[in-house]
Amino acid sequence: MTSMKPIYINGLGSVSPQDMANSSRFLSEVKRSQSNRLACIEPNYREFISPDILRRMGRLIKMGVASSRICLEDAGCMMPDAIITGTGLGCLEDTEKFLTTLVRNREELLTPTSFIQSTHNTVSAQIALLLKCHNYNFTYVHRGWSFESALIDSLIQLRNGQASTVLAGGMDELTNVSFAITQRLGHWRRKPVETLELLKSTDRGSIAGEGSAFFLLSSSQSPRSYAELAEVYTFNRKTSGKALQTILLDFLERSGIKPGDIDLAVCGINGDTSSARPYKELADNLKNAGIAAWKHLSGEYQTSSSFGLWMASMIMKHQLLPEVAVIRKSEERPFNTILLYNHYLDLNHSFILIRKP
Amino acid sequence: MDELINKLKKEVITQLNLEDISEDDINPDSPLFGEGLGLDSIDALELIVLLEKNYGIKIEDPKDGKKIFHSIRTMAEYITEHQKKA
Repeated sequence: MTSMKPIYINGLGSVSPQDMANSSRFLSEVKRSQSNRLACIEPNYREFISPDILRRMGRLIKMGVASSRICLEDAGCMMPDAIITGTGLGCLEDTEKFLTTLVRNREELLTPTSFIQSTHNTVSAQIALLLKCHNYNFTYVHRGWSFESALIDSLIQLRNGQASTVLAGGMDELTNVSFAITQRLGHWRRKPVETLELLKSTDRGSIAGEGSAFFLLSSSQSPRSYAELAEVYTFNRKTSGKALQTILLDFLERSGIKPGDIDLAVCGINGDTSSARPYKELADNLKNAGIAAWKHLSGEYQTSSSFGLWMASMIMKHQLLPEVAVIRKSEERPFNTILLYNHYLDLNHSFILIRKP
Repeated sequence: MDELINKLKKEVITQLNLEDISEDDINPDSPLFGEGLGLDSIDALELIVLLEKNYGIKIEDPKDGKKIFHSIRTMAEYITEHQKKA
């Protein structure tokens, strides 16, 4: 194991299907619904964005800008040295609007706004424009580990000293069209389900979701620090047999810890029986750790691990595991080391390791 | 003319998604760009498409745009003039 510069999570901001307006309440009141999709509880955007700018923004841009603002305020940071985001499908609402007009008007009479706002990097660009931030700005579009790619780049920037603060985030939105298409692909439950009971039921398909979460990462610890972001690792292949075990143990060894050191594994269990095996394998390899989950609260989407990291960071800072997130309890012990494991369609897998600062 | 002006106000509000602005807030003689409604170059493109889509008017010479899109009234006058010619 090589000694690396520690990187800290000094601020959080999120817009999700849960009420984030008051983070001190931390999932004390969760949204309960009977559905196969979850939509974000959106804040009053006028608190973050002026109406003349707001009028051109699609929903994902609004969610991204608002959550980034909440994050910067939480961290007490006015101007990050870099803005790095990840999104699986980008600004879908504007993309659909633009493409629909293209077809309906036979490729004529196209208006510019939805086209301009439809690109994947619009969120990070709008954040930079509003902050007048001319620093490094990058967006990763890597399917189920887009957010993790943004985190990996953030760690590189911070550890190499090219930035001392990075605003990193992950975001995706759900539209009626994208829901209908992925429903046909069998991604979601056919019938509405009691979302908080999702992980207890045994059926094919998950619930669709959406959200945006930002993190202010810094090379300096502050009294506000939530956690140390120790390591991020991704791999992109289907797992079978003992493959996950080997990769997990290698990752832990490289990170200088043993399986018994993990106090809590926060997992992307999504209620789809066809995607459960890797999570079970992970849990079997971390027998002493508690197991928690987040997708019954956020729904499944390409960058849902950003919600998972938000939740893990809150658990660490407040040393509190909300009952609603518990899958398996461990013996009472402080949360000093938390491993976040997620996979998207058993193709895009990721480990995110955080430690108590 | 007044009827067309009111129709145009509604269409501009919808097309440009002018939140918080009602038809009564728009003075038909006030400039659309800079002061007045404070529209910008992206809005200008939206208005060009609006004229073509809703009134079948294609602006051939971009230099005319400044005059045509000065205010709601100049837009209405241009449309009326164009419709008489047609």
